[in-house]
Amino acid sequence: MNFSLTKVQQQLKSDFSEFAKKVLNTSIYERDKDLSFSKEDWQKCADFGVLGISVSPEYGGYKIKLDLLSATLAMEGLGYGCRDNGLPFALSAQMWTVQLPIEQFGTDEQKQRFLPPLISGKKIACHALTEPNAGSDVFSMQTSATKVDGGYILNGEKCLITLAPVADLALIFAVTNSKLGKWGISAFIVETNTMGFTVSSNKEKMGLRTVPIGSLYFKDCFVPEKNRLGKEGAGWSITNHSLEYDRCSILASQLGAMEYQLEQSIAYVKERKQFGKSVGEFQSVSNRIADMKLRLETSRLLLYNVAWIKDQGRPAMLESSLLKLQLSESYVLSSLDTIRNHGGYGYLSENEVERDLRDSVGGVIYAGTSDIQRNIISKLLGL
Amino acid sequence: MEESIIKHIEQELANEEIEDGLELTDDLLGSGILDSLGMMKLISFIEEAYSIQVAPEEMVIENFMTVESICKYINSKV
Repeated sequence: MNFSLTKVQQQLKSDFSEFAKKVLNTSIYERDKDLSFSKEDWQKCADFGVLGISVSPEYGGYKIKLDLLSATLAMEGLGYGCRDNGLPFALSAQMWTVQLPIEQFGTDEQKQRFLPPLISGKKIACHALTEPNAGSDVFSMQTSATKVDGGYILNGEKCLITLAPVADLALIFAVTNSKLGKWGISAFIVETNTMGFTVSSNKEKMGLRTVPIGSLYFKDCFVPEKNRLGKEGAGWSITNHSLEYDRCSILASQLGAMEYQLEQSIAYVKERKQFGKSVGEFQSVSNRIADMKLRLETSRLLLYNVAWIKDQGRPAMLESSLLKLQLSESYVLSSLDTIRNHGGYGYLSENEVERDLRDSVGGVIYAGTSDIQRNIISKLLGL
Repeated sequence: MEESIIKHIEQELANEEIEDGLELTDDLLGSGILDSLGMMKLISFIEEAYSIQVAPEEMVIENFMTVESICKYINSKV
C-alpha cells in the first residue's frame, strides 16, 4: 500500500480547491436561509468538469479517466475550497448514484442519451430509493412497476430524495416481482415531466439547505421498456455497486471541509486574545485542536484506504462502513469543536461557522445511518 | 464446489440455522437465508475461492438465486 500522491493527483486536488474558492463561495449565507439552490453554481461545476469525474471521457466525462482515489482527491479539494457543503453533496449524489449506474449497467443508447446532458449540466438527476416505510430496510419498498405491453406502469411514492424538486430525470427503484424479494427490484430512468409523475416542493431541513430535497409520486406512470436500467431484477446489484463509490465521494468533500475547519480554528485561536494571551495557548483549546487533527487524519486514512481497495477491484464492505461511521461522526464533532474554538463569534449565523454543524448532522443519517454501520461492522466481525 | 459453497453458507453466512440443511435449489436472497450483506460476502468468497471476478451486472437472479445457479455461473467463468 502506497499513499504517496502522484503529481497529477496533487494538482487535481489543488485545481478543484482553487476553482471552488474562486467561483463558488457567493451568497451562501442568504441561500442557506431561504433554501435556495444555485443552478448557476451547478453549471459552473459542470463547466469545470466536476460532474465528469465518475464517467469515461467517451460519454462526456473528465478529460482523463480517473481512478477512484483521484476522483476522491478531487472531491476532497472541492470540499476544502467550497463553503457550501450542500453543493458537493448534491454533485456526488448525481455522479455516483445516477451517472455511474448508467455507465455500468446502461445500454449504449441509454449512455449516449442520458450521460452527456447530465455531465454538461443541462439536466439534473436524482436517485430515488427511499420510501416512507423503507429507509434502512430499503428493499422492503412498495413502489411497484407492473409489466404492460411496451413497458411498465409505476405506482407508489419515494421520499427524502436529494435534488428531487429540481431534477429533470430520476433513477427510480421499484418492485417488478414481489415474490422474488430483493431479486424482484428493478431500476428505471424516468423523465420527471412524464405523465403520472409528480414531484413535491422543496422540504425545509436542518442542514444542507442549499440542496433541495423532496418526494416523488407515481400514479399509473408509464415507463417504456427502453428506460429500464439493467436487467429486470437488477435493482439490488445496481444499488450495491454504487454504494462504496458514493460514500468515498460524499465523505471526501466532508474531509476537505474538516481540513478547512482545522486551519480556520488554528488561525482564530492564535489571533484571539483573552487574559493577555492567545486562547490557543490555553490547554483546553489546544487539546481540542489536537483532537480535530487526529479525527482528520484517521478519517483520511480510512477514506484513502477504501478508494485504494476499490481501485484494486476488490470489495470494501468492512472498510467502507468503518469509513462512513468514523468520518461522518468526526465531521459532527469537528464542526461543534470549530464553534467552541470561535466562542460566541462561532455561534452567530452571520459569521458562517455554525452552518457546518447543521450540515454535518445529515451525514450520520443518509447513505446508511451510523447505527446501521455499526451493525454491518459487528456482523462482518462475526457477531 | 456445491458442497463447499453450501458449507460456507450454512456455517458462515446464513442468518439462522437452516432446518434440514440447505438445498441446491433454495432461494438464498429472496427467502431470507442471506441478507444483502451475506450475499455480498458470498460473492467475495466465490471470487476468492474460484479466482473469478463477478461484474456488477452479473449479480442477478439468474446467477445467484440458488447454489445450483451459482455453480453453473462459476463453471461458465472458469
